[in-house]
Amino acid sequence: MLATVFISPALLLLLAMSVFPLLWALYLSFTDYSATRGGPARFVGFGNYTAILTSAQVHQRALTTLIYVVGAVALQTVLGFGIAYLISRRTHGRGLLTTLFLVPMMLSPVVVGLFWRFMLDAQFGVINSMLGSLGLGQVEWLTRQRTALISLIVVDTWQWTPFIMLIALAGLTAVPKYLYEAASIDRASEWFRFRTITLPLVWPLLLIAVMFRAIEAFRLFDLVYILTNGGPGVSTETLSFHVYKVAFLGFNTGTASAYGILMVLVVIVLTQLYLRYLNKLKEG
Amino acid sequence: MAVSVDEAVSTGPTRERTPPTRRLGGRGRSVLEIALLTVLAVVMLFPVLWMIETSIKENRDVYAVPAQFFGFSVTIDHFKDVFVAPGGGRSDLSVAFLNSAVVAGVSTVLATVLGVPAAWAYSRFAVKAKKDQLFFILSTRFMPPVVVVIPIFLMYRQVGLIDSKLGLILIYTAFNAPFTIWMMKGFVDEVPAEYEDAAMLDGYTRLQAFWRHTLPLLVPGIAATAVFALIFSWNEFVFAIFLTSSDSVRTAPPAIAGLIGGTTTDWGLVAAASVVFALPVLVFAYLVRKHLIAGVTLGAVRR
Amino acid sequence: MRHPQQIGRMSAPRRKVQLATAAMLLVATTMAACGDGQDDGGKASAPKAPATIPELTTDPLTLSFIWFDWPPAQALETFANTEYKKERPNATIKVNTVPNANWHDAMFTQFAARKTDFDIAILDSQHIGEAVTNGNILDITDFVKTNIDVAAYDPYLLAAYGQFPQAETGKRDENASLYGLPLLGDTWTMIYRKDLIGDKPPQTWDEMISVAEKCQADNPGVSGLAFHQANGSDAAAVTYNTVNGVYGGNLWDSKTRKIDGVLNDAAGHEAMDVLVNKMKPLTARGSGNWFIDEVNAAVAQGKACIAFNWIAASGGLLDPKQSTLGTTREQILDKLGFATLPSQKTDLVPLGGMGMHVSAYSPTANQTEALNFMKWFQRADVQKKWAAAGGVPSRTDALKSPEFLNAGPFNQVYADSVPRMRDMWNVPEYARLVDIENTNVNAALNGAKSPKEALDDIAKEQQSVLDSSSRKGGGGL
Repeated sequence: MLATVFISPALLLLLAMSVFPLLWALYLSFTDYSATRGGPARFVGFGNYTAILTSAQVHQRALTTLIYVVGAVALQTVLGFGIAYLISRRTHGRGLLTTLFLVPMMLSPVVVGLFWRFMLDAQFGVINSMLGSLGLGQVEWLTRQRTALISLIVVDTWQWTPFIMLIALAGLTAVPKYLYEAASIDRASEWFRFRTITLPLVWPLLLIAVMFRAIEAFRLFDLVYILTNGGPGVSTETLSFHVYKVAFLGFNTGTASAYGILMVLVVIVLTQLYLRYLNKLKEG
Repeated sequence: MAVSVDEAVSTGPTRERTPPTRRLGGRGRSVLEIALLTVLAVVMLFPVLWMIETSIKENRDVYAVPAQFFGFSVTIDHFKDVFVAPGGGRSDLSVAFLNSAVVAGVSTVLATVLGVPAAWAYSRFAVKAKKDQLFFILSTRFMPPVVVVIPIFLMYRQVGLIDSKLGLILIYTAFNAPFTIWMMKGFVDEVPAEYEDAAMLDGYTRLQAFWRHTLPLLVPGIAATAVFALIFSWNEFVFAIFLTSSDSVRTAPPAIAGLIGGTTTDWGLVAAASVVFALPVLVFAYLVRKHLIAGVTLGAVRR
Repeated sequence: MRHPQQIGRMSAPRRKVQLATAAMLLVATTMAACGDGQDDGGKASAPKAPATIPELTTDPLTLSFIWFDWPPAQALETFANTEYKKERPNATIKVNTVPNANWHDAMFTQFAARKTDFDIAILDSQHIGEAVTNGNILDITDFVKTNIDVAAYDPYLLAAYGQFPQAETGKRDENASLYGLPLLGDTWTMIYRKDLIGDKPPQTWDEMISVAEKCQADNPGVSGLAFHQANGSDAAAVTYNTVNGVYGGNLWDSKTRKIDGVLNDAAGHEAMDVLVNKMKPLTARGSGNWFIDEVNAAVAQGKACIAFNWIAASGGLLDPKQSTLGTTREQILDKLGFATLPSQKTDLVPLGGMGMHVSAYSPTANQTEALNFMKWFQRADVQKKWAAAGGVPSRTDALKSPEFLNAGPFNQVYADSVPRMRDMWNVPEYARLVDIENTNVNAALNGAKSPKEALDDIAKEQQSVLDSSSRKGGGGL
C-alpha cells in the first residue's frame, strides 16, 4: 500500500508525459495528420512507415548517423581510455587532472556548438589561424562534405571523451593490486599484464559507457543544428535533424511521428541486444 | 559501493605497483607519459581558455587574423552587456538566465519530491514486476527529444502549456524523474533496511521510520542527485527552443543561440554569456564530484 | 527532532496534491486526445477582419509582435513606443524576438497551437500562403479598402507583403484578397570598396565579376566577392534566385504549378553555372556557410571587394566599433559604396522585408488595436518618421522624402530598386521548397553536387512537393 502511494505519483507523471505522448505519436504515425493544417486525420495504414523505410533520403541520413555514431564513439573510447590509463599511472595531481579533463562534459551543447563554430571558422577561426602559423593551409572545416562530418565527430569527441575517461578511470583504479603483484613476480610483460589483467576488468564498464554514448550520439540534434545546420547540402543531417525538418518545415506530423517511432524502436532493440550480449559476456 | 572520483583518483593501488623506474627506460617512459598527458590536457582545455579570452577581448580583436593570444586590450564590457540592456535596464539575456534558474530549480525540486519516495519504495518493498517497471522507467530517458517534442507539443496545445514555464518544468520533471529514481535507489540500497525495522519495533510506523531514520542518511545522495537533475534542466536546448518563444519564458540556451544569426555576431558577448552560463554548472559539478560517475550514467554504473 | 516530524505531517497532503495533479494531467491529456481532430476541422480559410475599426479599448493593453532578433526589431519597438503612444497612451508595444533560424518554426508552432503570444506576426513575404491556407491570419481585404490609400504605394509592394495567391509577376491583382500590410521594405544592396575598385560601381553582372576578379588579384588577402551561401533560413536560395532572375530565368510557372522544366531551363542552368563556376571561386575559402552576419564581418574586416547583403542588415557596417575600415562613420563611408545590383539580361533584384499580419488567435481587443496600429503606421507622416528612425517605409511619398533618403547611404539604393523587385513563391509549401533549394544550392557551392545535378534535383524535388498533396503517407520526406 505504502509502496503504491510512493511509486504511483512518479509513474503517473511518466505515463502522462512519456508514455501517453508516445502512444499518441504511435496513433498519429498511421495517419496523414498535420499539426498546422488541421482537419481530421486520415488513416493511411503503414503508408508512412513504408515511405520512410524506402526513402533514399532517409537511407542517406541513416548512413550519416551511422558514420557519426561509430566514428565519434570509437574515437572517444580510445581517447578516453588512453587518458584514463595515463592518469591512473600518475601518483601526483590526479585529482586536479581529472577535474580539469571533465570540464567539456559539463557545458551545454549550445555553448559547445557555438564556440566550436567560432573556432572552426575558415577565415577568422583560431584553429585555421594556428594551422596558418605552422605553415599549413586553411582547412574548410564546416563547408566540405568530409571535413564537416569529421568536425562534428571531433566536437562530439571533445565534449564526451571525459565521460569515457571518467568511467574507465573508475575501472582502472578498482583493479585489485594483488593481481599486478602476482604478475610482476612472474615477470610478465607490461603488455601481457595489460591484456590479461587490466583490460578484462575494465572491459564491462567500458562497454556500458559505450552504450550510453551510442544512445546519446544516435539522437544527436543540437550540435548539428548549431554547428553545420546539416550542411554542406544535407551531408551532415542526422536522423534526428531530418525528423525535425519533416516535423517543423512541412508540419507533416504523421510522417514525423512514424519516423520518431522507428528511431525509438531502433534504440530499444539495439539496447536490448547489446545488454543481452553484455550479460552473456559476464556469464562467459 | 559507488565509486567516487576521489576514490578513483586516490593514490592507493598505483603506489604499491612495481615502481616503473626500476625498468630500463622507465624514466623516459614516465616523461613521455607526462608530456602526452600535458598535450592532451592543453587540447581539451584550449577551447575553454579561448572562450574566456574572447569574452574579455574587444570586438575588433576578436576577428584578428592571425589570432591574438596575448597583448590585446582587456575589456569587461561584454560581461556588462550580458546583464545590462544597451539602453539601461535588464537585458533579455539576464531575464533568460532568471527563467533558466526558475525552470531548472522548480523541475529539480519536483523530480526529487516525486523520485525519492518512489526510489525508497522500489528499494524496500516487493513490487510487482519491479525489474520491468524499472527498465520501463529508464527507457523513457532513451527517447530522442526531437521525437518526444512532437506529441508533447500537441498535448500542450490542448491544455495551453505552450510557451509557458510550467510546460518546461513538467517536461523536465518527467525527464529527471527516471534519473532520480535510478540514482536514489542505489543510495537507498546502501542504507540497511534494519534501521527501519528496528525503529518499527520501537513503535514507529514504516513511514515514520523512513522519515526519521532513512531520509536523514539520504540527504547527501539527494543533494548529488538533485544537482545532476539541475544540470540537465539548465543545459537543455531542444524542448526549450520548440516549446517556448517569448522573451519572458525563454531559458538561457535558446537565448544564447539567438545571439548569432542577426546582422552582426557579437562573439565577445556570446563568449561572455557562455562563461556566465557555464559557471554555475561547473561549481555544482565540483560540489558533487564524488558522485559524478553515477550521475552521468543515470546510476547504472556505480559499483 | 520535532522539526522534521512537523514537515513529515505536512507532507501527506502535499503528496495528495501531487497525485491529484498527475491524475488531472492524465485525464486532461486523454480528453485532449479524444477531442483532437474535431476542434479545427473544416476551417480552412482565413477569418475576416472588420472593414472599419471597432471601438478601441481604454484599458492598458500590450500589443505584441513576433520577429527575429536583429536591429530593426529593436528599432520598431522603440519607434512604436515613442510615436504610437502619443496617439494611444494606454498601449504598450512589445516586439518578441526569436533566433533567426527559429523564426518560421516559432511562429507556425504557435499558429499550430491555435494560441499565440503575439497579436501581429511579422511574416516573411513567402510565409503568407502557409498562414492563409491554415487560417492563421486575418483577411484584411475589406479593412484595407476602407482604411488604406492603396494608390499611395507601388502596387507590387502591397501585393508582395499582403496578397495571396501571390503576384510574383510584379503586378498586383486588384481582386485578390489581402492579408497583410508592409512593415519593412528590403532588397539586396551591392557593397563595394571605393578605395579598391573606384567610385563607379559595375553596371552589369559580367562587369561585376571581372572587376571582382581583378580586385582580388591586386589585393592579396581580400576576396573578390562575399554573398550568402548558408543552407539555413533562405540564404543560399535567395542568392541563386537573384542570379536566376538577372540571367532571365524563372522560378516556376504559377498558373500550371510547374517547376520542373521551368526553373532548370537553359537560363536557369546558365545562372547556376555563373554562380558556382564564376562567382564562387571569387569568395573566401570556407565561406560556404556564410549568411548576413558573416558577410558583414568580412566587409567590416576589409576582406571583400564586393559584397551583397540585405539593406536592413547593413547598418552595422557603418559602426566604427565593429569595423577596421575607419574610426569614424565618415572614414568608413570614404571606403564603402552602396549601389543597386548590376543587371544582365534583366534588372531584377530580390524582394526582402516583411509585412504585418494579424493573428487570428489573439483577443478581439488586441486584434482591434492591431488594425488601428497598422492604419496608423501607414499614414504618410508616420511612414516618414519610421524612415527617419531607421526603418524602410513603403509609401511612395515616404520613399521619395528627404527623411528617408538622408537617413542612410543605402536608402537611395532601395528607392531605386523598388520597380525592379521579384519575390519567391508564397505557396503554403514554401518552407519545404526553400529548404530544398537552400540545401541543394549550398551543396553545389561547396562541391557536394555538380551545378547541373543540383539544379535538376531542386526542380524535381520541388515539383514533387507541389504535386504530393494526393500521396498516401510519407508526406514531408
